[in-house]
Amino acid sequence: MTITFRAYFMTQEAREMKKSTKSWIMIAGAACFEVIWVIGLKHASAPWEWAVTVAAILISFYALIWASGRLPVGTVYAVFVGLGTAGTVLAGGVLFGEPLRPLKLLLIGLLLAGVVGLKLVTPAQAESEQTKGLN
Amino acid sequence: MAWVMLIAAGICEMFGVAMIGKLHKDRNWQSVCLLILGFGASFLLLSLAMESLPMGIAYAIWTGIGASGAAIMGMLFYGEARDVKRIACIVVILGAVAGLKLIG
Repeated sequence: MTITFRAYFMTQEAREMKKSTKSWIMIAGAACFEVIWVIGLKHASAPWEWAVTVAAILISFYALIWASGRLPVGTVYAVFVGLGTAGTVLAGGVLFGEPLRPLKLLLIGLLLAGVVGLKLVTPAQAESEQTKGLN
Repeated sequence: MAWVMLIAAGICEMFGVAMIGKLHKDRNWQSVCLLILGFGASFLLLSLAMESLPMGIAYAIWTGIGASGAAIMGMLFYGEARDVKRIACIVVILGAVAGLKLIG
């Protein structure tokens, strides 16, 4: 009986963990699409480029909203903004030859440390009370 | 005037993020509309403010108000964790973002 209960409890926990990991992947995905639309807003000229930009905006917000149902919205938005900014700066350096000064890389490192820290302090069952059971 | 628009843009962003929280709570189309309205107004006001303010400063302040405001509102209205480590991590992320925008 105890064993069955524990096994059940552990699968619950594993399920929460899996759901939480998926949410973090969704935020990273949202940030990747944010990089695409930020570049698009700056450089798009052909109609298909604008179409890609608009699609990227919709996808990034969809992923952002999805993740906010499973993790605290303040956390999700800070990570989204952080990863999006880091990605945009790196993309600017790699794709458009903007200088990546040591200070920029240092700030990106600091930013990523903050994101990892936030992931560590956010419990797997971080869903706020009101969203529980709605997923 | 540009500064007023910039601060308003930050507040609209904060409002947009709050509507994401409301959407999950209430699950209605009204929240979706308010969300689009919030972010739409925010981007519009930001681009208007950027016509006369330096881009890096405008971006840094806009993000600062929007994302930190969103975190504070999450704690006040949606019962999100207030522990020091969480707040410190958010401050580090947003500080680094503001720094990157300023030196950008």
